[in-house]
Amino acid sequence: MNPETLVAVNVGLPVVSALAALLLNDKRIRTAIVSLSALVLISSSVLLYQAGGIVFSPGHVYEQAVVVLDFTLLLYFLYAGAKAKSLPVIGLGLAQIIPAAYFEFVVKGTHVQNIILVDNLSILLTLIINVVGSIVIIYALSYMEEHEHHLKMKKSTQNKFFFFMILLLAAMNGMVYSNSLYWLYFFWEVTTLCCYELIRHDGTDEAKKNSVLALWMGLVGGVGFVGAMFLGYNQVHSIALTDLMAVPEAMGLAFALMALAAFTKAAQFPWQGWLLGAMVAPTPVSALLHSSTMVNAGIYMLLRIAPAIQGTNLSYIIALGGALTFAMTAFLAIRQTVSKKILAYSTIGNLGLIVLCIGINTALSNTAAVALLTFHSVAKGLLFMSAGVVENKIGSRNVEDWEGLMDMLPLTTTVLIAGMVSMFLPPFGMLLSKWVAVDAVASSPLYIGLPLVLLVILGSAATTFYYAKWIGYMTVMPLGLEKKKDEELEGPYKLSMIGLLALNVVISVGVAFVINKLVIPAISSAYPIVVSTTGLTVDLGFTSFPVLALWGGIVAVFLIGSRLAGSKGGKVAAPYLGGSNVPGDYTKYRSTAGGEFDLSVSGIFLNASLDEASLEKIALYIGVLISVALILVEVI
Amino acid sequence: MNPVSTLIAVTLALVTPIIGGLLAGVDRKLTARMQERMGPPLVQPFYDVLKLWGKEPMIANRMQPVLAFGYLGFALVAAGLVTFQQDLLLILFVMGMADLCLTTAAVSVKSPYSYLGGRREFLAMLSYEPVILMVDIAIFLVTGSFTVAGIYAYGKPLAMVLPLALIALQFVLVIEMKKSPYDISGSSHAHQELVRGVFTEFSGYTMALVELGHWAKMATTLMIFSLFWAPNPVIGAAISLGMFFITLVVDNIYPRLTWQNMLKTTWSVGFVLVLINVAALVLGGII
Amino acid sequence: MSLIQKARLKSLWVMHYDCGSCNGCDIEILAALTPKFDVERFGIVNIGDPKQADVLLVTGPANHRNKEVLTNLFDQMPAPKLVMAIGTCACSGGIFHNCANVLGGIDKVIPVDVYIPGCAVRPEAIIDGVVLALNKLAGVAPVDDEEEA
Repeated sequence: MNPETLVAVNVGLPVVSALAALLLNDKRIRTAIVSLSALVLISSSVLLYQAGGIVFSPGHVYEQAVVVLDFTLLLYFLYAGAKAKSLPVIGLGLAQIIPAAYFEFVVKGTHVQNIILVDNLSILLTLIINVVGSIVIIYALSYMEEHEHHLKMKKSTQNKFFFFMILLLAAMNGMVYSNSLYWLYFFWEVTTLCCYELIRHDGTDEAKKNSVLALWMGLVGGVGFVGAMFLGYNQVHSIALTDLMAVPEAMGLAFALMALAAFTKAAQFPWQGWLLGAMVAPTPVSALLHSSTMVNAGIYMLLRIAPAIQGTNLSYIIALGGALTFAMTAFLAIRQTVSKKILAYSTIGNLGLIVLCIGINTALSNTAAVALLTFHSVAKGLLFMSAGVVENKIGSRNVEDWEGLMDMLPLTTTVLIAGMVSMFLPPFGMLLSKWVAVDAVASSPLYIGLPLVLLVILGSAATTFYYAKWIGYMTVMPLGLEKKKDEELEGPYKLSMIGLLALNVVISVGVAFVINKLVIPAISSAYPIVVSTTGLTVDLGFTSFPVLALWGGIVAVFLIGSRLAGSKGGKVAAPYLGGSNVPGDYTKYRSTAGGEFDLSVSGIFLNASLDEASLEKIALYIGVLISVALILVEVI
Repeated sequence: MNPVSTLIAVTLALVTPIIGGLLAGVDRKLTARMQERMGPPLVQPFYDVLKLWGKEPMIANRMQPVLAFGYLGFALVAAGLVTFQQDLLLILFVMGMADLCLTTAAVSVKSPYSYLGGRREFLAMLSYEPVILMVDIAIFLVTGSFTVAGIYAYGKPLAMVLPLALIALQFVLVIEMKKSPYDISGSSHAHQELVRGVFTEFSGYTMALVELGHWAKMATTLMIFSLFWAPNPVIGAAISLGMFFITLVVDNIYPRLTWQNMLKTTWSVGFVLVLINVAALVLGGII
Repeated sequence: MSLIQKARLKSLWVMHYDCGSCNGCDIEILAALTPKFDVERFGIVNIGDPKQADVLLVTGPANHRNKEVLTNLFDQMPAPKLVMAIGTCACSGGIFHNCANVLGGIDKVIPVDVYIPGCAVRPEAIIDGVVLALNKLAGVAPVDDEEEA
């Protein structure tokens, strides 16, 4: 299959499927549409990997279509802003539509010779978007049924929901193939649209408010792109990325604006508010936005321009922004009790780590960044999906209510724990990536590296803290209050969770293969190769990652441990309460006055030491400083 | 690696619990002598573990024994990574897995002592992780490698270049060995904190496994400290045994302090000491 | 005897519980742990957690309030375990034996292996009692002083 067709399929098929899902609001038809699209998209991504890169331009009719759609979209944003009486949305919308109109109709600068450019980076992103994205949308089939059942909705709005979910895949695919800044900007804004619509899907006041927040933050990015287009055209009479990157010295401010857009999309400080607010949306939205699509757009943007900003102050500020985001979100996560908030902070933190690596901008650090991106997308998708199942089944988002999950939802809890463990422990891929990140930071020149090192260290320690804490919550097995197993998982749930878990394990065992075949090719056109693999071992020159030995160790430890536990057995004893257990009842104890009290334990949130409000304020100020610095460093 | 050295590495790793047990015996004997008593025989810890193994099995929940073995198992894997001269960060992360098994086992029981002990153990990990990470990075900056093999290849003794890091690691050793002033998550034998803190709900063979795991971790940690004089293993051993002895003295002098103190002191003194060391090396042109 | 059996004799972990004692016997127990008498050289450690203890040292008489606690602690100890009643109150109720709330000695609630009378018990007597307990664990018959003399 030739690459042009595959590109068309990747961008066009989701549009068709989305429209079909919108118009045909029937559960079985929807399942068929989603399953079919998933199969086609995953296959076409793999075929694209095999076919390799390409550069071409689709016909002129497509360029005109994009212009029409873009202005329709911007007008819709203005309408949405007016409806919500949101000054930022209206202001930012006008700040885009007027210059864009001028650019299109007066300057007539939006035509580009080679609009579509598919290289190894695009191919990797395509795989991530389509594989993880499709799995999440399959998951959404079951989730939305339960969700609407919980909300006792009379008329299903799932057609609208799936329309935007599937459309998001089209937009993301389109974005990673766009060489024309105008097309990239258009697809970027489509993702903003999907984000806006999906966050407000449930229609509550909170949802509407948070969707507007996501909208104007996204529009900031859009303004950045419009500015970059003007600057690019002014200097090199073109808005093709390849042309802009050919003259990096002149394009500093344009790149800074694009970096700013990336920061808003990847929810780096101070733009993290929208992602945290997006948690009100149904879980598949969080899984899609935070694992495989939206946030990856920001990372993709930074990866694209990275080769052109090597060694610049801009690159360093990007690194600093990422490091600060990583460290601060780790501490803020310790204070959270809502499961999805913890995951949100974790996402922003990991993105910060990736941004840090891109900012350091060496071959090693960018290898780490791409590896982190890949593994994070899979693991995060897994975590959100399983957290969503737990939420639906127990009806609570508060992690303190997650006692006894092991008994009630064994499969889901195991998936959750596996996902969490894969985020920060060997031999999973995330650990390798983090480890390479530490290596990369440590091997930069000291005055650059040291502050970043400090932030990474503090962030890592805090990350271990809240992840270990959260694993603790899930594994509490309250004697006497054993919950009965209540895990009826429908097909889509099982398929998506087990499928993604299997993928997680496969890419972790085969991390060397992933690095060799996917990660390194994505950056090797612009950077030398410094990571090599022998068999299953990953070699970084100054150290190596013995994958087989580690996996062997893990499996051996758990096998032997289970055998030993099985052979020794043992009667279950009441917890030690100084002898005050009420006889025959594990859940109560007797007080000195003779009454019976329920035994309860609760977590550690460091309330006295970490004041959430002031931490957030500090984070906001520092974030604003970083964003301002991004622009100033290229203006001065 | 040839078969002989592989065999030696594997054996050394598997023998760490026994080394740790003997060290624990020395610990109790020396502590007793410091308190003007006789103290138990040197092999007492092994009697303890054997006795525990022979107790009637009693578990808190079905995950606990698996996780207790996990603690021992991952400690042994970490020991193996050291004897096979692998990456220091990786060793740190695997030891973190062992700790995670212990804390999860503790927190999985709805018992206030165990749960609270587990929470305090998280705080202990939060305290010492940055110090160890920073020391690992300092070692990288000096030797150009993160691996144990790299330390050997460097040739010169690390203690000459990173003396302050050793002092910082002393803090880490005190916390890891659960000795005063930082035995907040569960103290070593004769002391009680939160009854037995993170160890409260273990009994019989699960407690035996945890003890063995603790010994393995202790021995592995001291093996890593002995790398600070890699050219001469005798001096290296003397350094780690010296730090071990200092821990015992500190334990007998100091009362137990709060977790806030542990966090603050370890970060502001331990972590900063390593930074000062690195800064000095930069200014001196060594890195 | 097997290795584990030998280990049991060399490592006796103690859990101390005060039923209703005036604390006189408790102080003497603590004294036994101090450097002057140093029972740690026999491997005895005051472990405080019934799940890890071999011996339950009880002082004071059993009464209606603490019988539940005593049973609870005893049940949480895994076998093999021993109970030592320290002091006259624990043995038989002592001078409180006919009080309204007192049930009598702790053998009214849990099975006792070794009785150590005294008010308050001397640390030497406690150590003697420990030797008796060890002999019981080893399956050796208790030494009868009067027969020897």
